Amino acid sequence: MPATDYQGSSAPLTNLGRSLLSLRRDQVHAMESHHDGSSAASLEVELESFQRQVADRFHDLSSVPSDELLSLPWVRKLLDVFLVCQEEFRVILSNNRAQVNRPPMDRLVADFYERSVKALDVCNAIRDGIEQIRQWEKLLEIVLCALGDTSNVNNNSNTNINNGNCYQRTLGEGQFRRAKKALIDLAIGMLDEKDSGQALAHRNRSFGRNNNSGSHSRDHHHRSLGHFRSLSWSVSRSWSAARQLQAIGNNLTAPRGNEVVASNGLAMPVFTMGCVLLFVMWALVAAIPCQDRGLQVHFYIPRQFSWAAPILSLHEKILEESKKRDRKNACGLLREIYQMEKCSRLLGELADSVQFPLNEEKEAEVRQRVKELGHVCEAMKEGLEPLEKQVREVFHRIVRSRTEGLDSLGRHNAE
Amino acid sequence: MAENGEEKLLAVARHIAKTLGQNDTMADDILQIFSNFDGRFSREKLSEKMVDEDPRGCAALERTLNSLDRQISQYVAIDHPIWADSADSSAFLDAIDELIATIRDWSPMASEKSVGACLVRADDLMQQAMFRFEDEFRSLMEQGAESFDLSRSNHESAGNLSFDSDDENEDNEGLLQNGADLDHQIPVAQPLTDYDIVIDALPSGTINALHEIAKRMVAAGFLKECSHVYSTCRREFLEESISRLGLQKLSIDEVQKMPWQELEDEIERWIKAANLALRILFPSERRLCDRVFFGFSSAADLSFMEVCRGCTIHLLNFADAISIGSRSPERLFKVLDVFETLRDLMPEFDSVFADQYCLVLRNEAITIWKRLGEAIRGIFMELENLIRRDPAKAAVPGGGLHPITRYVMNYLRAACRSRQTLEQVFDESNVGVPPNKLDDRGSSSSSMSVQMAWIMELLESNLEMKSKIYRDSALCSVFMMNNGRYIVQKVKDSELGSLLGDDWIRKHSTKVRQYSTNYQRISWNKILGTLKLDNNSLASNGAAKSMKEKIKSFNSQFEEVCKIQSTWVVFDEQLREEMKIAVTRLLLPAYRNFIGRFQCIPEIGRNADRLIRYSADDVEAKINELFEGSSGGRKSR
Repeated sequence: MPATDYQGSSAPLTNLGRSLLSLRRDQVHAMESHHDGSSAASLEVELESFQRQVADRFHDLSSVPSDELLSLPWVRKLLDVFLVCQEEFRVILSNNRAQVNRPPMDRLVADFYERSVKALDVCNAIRDGIEQIRQWEKLLEIVLCALGDTSNVNNNSNTNINNGNCYQRTLGEGQFRRAKKALIDLAIGMLDEKDSGQALAHRNRSFGRNNNSGSHSRDHHHRSLGHFRSLSWSVSRSWSAARQLQAIGNNLTAPRGNEVVASNGLAMPVFTMGCVLLFVMWALVAAIPCQDRGLQVHFYIPRQFSWAAPILSLHEKILEESKKRDRKNACGLLREIYQMEKCSRLLGELADSVQFPLNEEKEAEVRQRVKELGHVCEAMKEGLEPLEKQVREVFHRIVRSRTEGLDSLGRHNAE
Repeated sequence: MAENGEEKLLAVARHIAKTLGQNDTMADDILQIFSNFDGRFSREKLSEKMVDEDPRGCAALERTLNSLDRQISQYVAIDHPIWADSADSSAFLDAIDELIATIRDWSPMASEKSVGACLVRADDLMQQAMFRFEDEFRSLMEQGAESFDLSRSNHESAGNLSFDSDDENEDNEGLLQNGADLDHQIPVAQPLTDYDIVIDALPSGTINALHEIAKRMVAAGFLKECSHVYSTCRREFLEESISRLGLQKLSIDEVQKMPWQELEDEIERWIKAANLALRILFPSERRLCDRVFFGFSSAADLSFMEVCRGCTIHLLNFADAISIGSRSPERLFKVLDVFETLRDLMPEFDSVFADQYCLVLRNEAITIWKRLGEAIRGIFMELENLIRRDPAKAAVPGGGLHPITRYVMNYLRAACRSRQTLEQVFDESNVGVPPNKLDDRGSSSSSMSVQMAWIMELLESNLEMKSKIYRDSALCSVFMMNNGRYIVQKVKDSELGSLLGDDWIRKHSTKVRQYSTNYQRISWNKILGTLKLDNNSLASNGAAKSMKEKIKSFNSQFEEVCKIQSTWVVFDEQLREEMKIAVTRLLLPAYRNFIGRFQCIPEIGRNADRLIRYSADDVEAKINELFEGSSGGRKSR
């Protein structure tokens, strides 16, 4: 367990969370002595365990080797962590309904629900982004289809003339042209919106020559490519992931001492969950393409929270990643996108440089690149669908827990 | 050609022998079997070419390729759409068929160097042809869709959709008169009254052409390109159709912030768009897709999903946003509309999204539909809370109808117009109704009637709380009576009556009567008391005095009561008359009796007329002026 080694380091009693909790403990005993002492103690245990679990999980996430950070499996793990935290948080709230429905908790929880509703739009945007990646994956499949061994090509149709042959096909100019076309479409698809117009013009120049069917079809292609880019977004043009993240983080501050006391300590998990929500949404936006990505969100987390260190360290690592030269203009920091971009760029350069007939050395190089591309493609194929399901699950859970909260508040008012 | 065939056959036989034979002897044995089997496989012919590395078969392949190259290159170079000319297009298709067949036939021998080299050339040719196919496919799709501009002529009246447009009609007439090219006939639909139509999204000639191209692209291994072009074009078409219906892309945040009135309009547009999409556009896309990709069901399913996914998510996201939105009771009716729209579209979701790829979309629709049910229950919960918490601010003047009674009753009556839907929603879950309330009413009543009875109870207790604000307990009773009467009336003449049941109505009618009796008792018993006659002191001197006091007391009390109660309100005319009659019946006989006796007392004599301020008729007239509202005479006849 990686958790054990840092637990010790965060143990000092200068720890704000801890000191607030103990402050509360005294107050609870002083003010609510009529309460069952054991239930107050069990709440205490519940809250402390939540803080520790959150810290453990994020520590786990942050202690991955740098080449696993922001990979598809890592993002999926991040969402798992969110789901578990959200569930525990929900249980805490429902175990302490009476307290939750009283000030100041009613306001704090209402704030949290408002935040979480804002996260729903991020979930939807991320779902669009995943769909976008899937479209790129389709272009990669065309490349694999063109340059891959027939045995690699998993074509559904059994009418395919090349099916059933396990020989290594000789790579000819035709296959390269086919692959290059898909690669250029991919490159344009992966560009940020603002650069795409120029690139599109370039693409059409280079393919206008190959394609002899005259200018009308070029225009059509232009049009459809433009649409190809914008189609996947289900939100309005003016929607911005960066602004949405800012809205989620708005006024997200650590609870004041009196709030912690008045809420029996329950203000702490609300703040914790707010930070988890903000961080997870921020990381998703960092990883996955979506409209107007922007990572300029500030995390004001007092270092004293045991989970602050791993979250802030992850934040820092991801920011660093985004500042790397070759990632600066990336449409998403997802490791697989990076690999896809790199592989396809290298393959594209290779394709531009080859002479026909292909010599053995070049052919081996091409086959190597294609193999790498195949791996990326495979990883996407395996990871994207479960990721999309998870994002949807996050959406549903947020809605469900909010509905539950609103219902409970409604019933409380009935009493 | 016949010779070519034989060469091919021999080449295949040699190839089989070579591949299957693990050593030369085995290969030789296999060749022997072939030669025994058919005279064409003579040992000389076969063995000769076993040694020869440049078989005559390959020469034939080369000849075929040369000829195909000439034909195909010529078509690839044409600078106008090939499908504009049916002779060109069918010759092009034939050439491709031959190229496909050639590659298929020779591929088993690709390991032979010369054949392999030929196949590379064939692949190259195929690629060029496929690029051209892709372009042709795209321009056919786009031209077809342009000629089919779904709502160009009438996007302002989306509900009244027809698919004709004038210029197309003229074209059609020309074509029809020629009696030729029926393929390009555009179906013209009558203005839409129900959605039970599926349109051919493209002219059927175009569909056939697309299918022919798709067939070749699939066979050549270019399915992905084909499907991509197809999906992109159709998706664009769908998106345009939806946006022509005025449906915006809105985030959940934007929906939450939108003023309700605007949102109501958006919901109206959504309902139309959702119906149109699920009942016409998607099934039409399904049909188109199945026809273009006929014979390739998996490709058809995948392409169809790609086409519809974005639009479906766009539509569902909006419904989702509505379900997450405010629980303000005023929203009930529109949320019900959205719920009912989705519910009624479920069979369409089931049928149009039945395949494996679309299953996700169908499940999403179910989830969001259920969530709308939760939203509706949430709205009722909010209504309950609003009723419960509605503060007793200022008393309604004259004990009249309270706005909350009017609001709640009319709200519930309106809600009950969607009784079936609400029953469905409340049956899903009994959230919001305390379990003991459920037990109270036995198992025969539906969740909805329990819910309604519960709201009525909340309303009554809120009204009772409000009645306390009146210092006059008679007025308090009038207030309760008025509101109770209104409630019973509104229940009786609506679905609420059958939901709450006859017992409920009886019980509450009785309550109203009780309030009325209470009023009489409180207001008039004391006055009646002043008119009571003492039998034993009838003749004494003191009796006259006491009688004098009594009439004075009556005069002032009656005057006071009338003055006050003329400003009170009984909104229901019938009830008002009944109450006046009841008061008259209560008071008048006693008064007549009293003044009769009073006038007979000798000590009073001629003073009687002076002391009796009201004749019996005056009293009746005064009573008649009761309950006419705040300005007294405002409503009087």
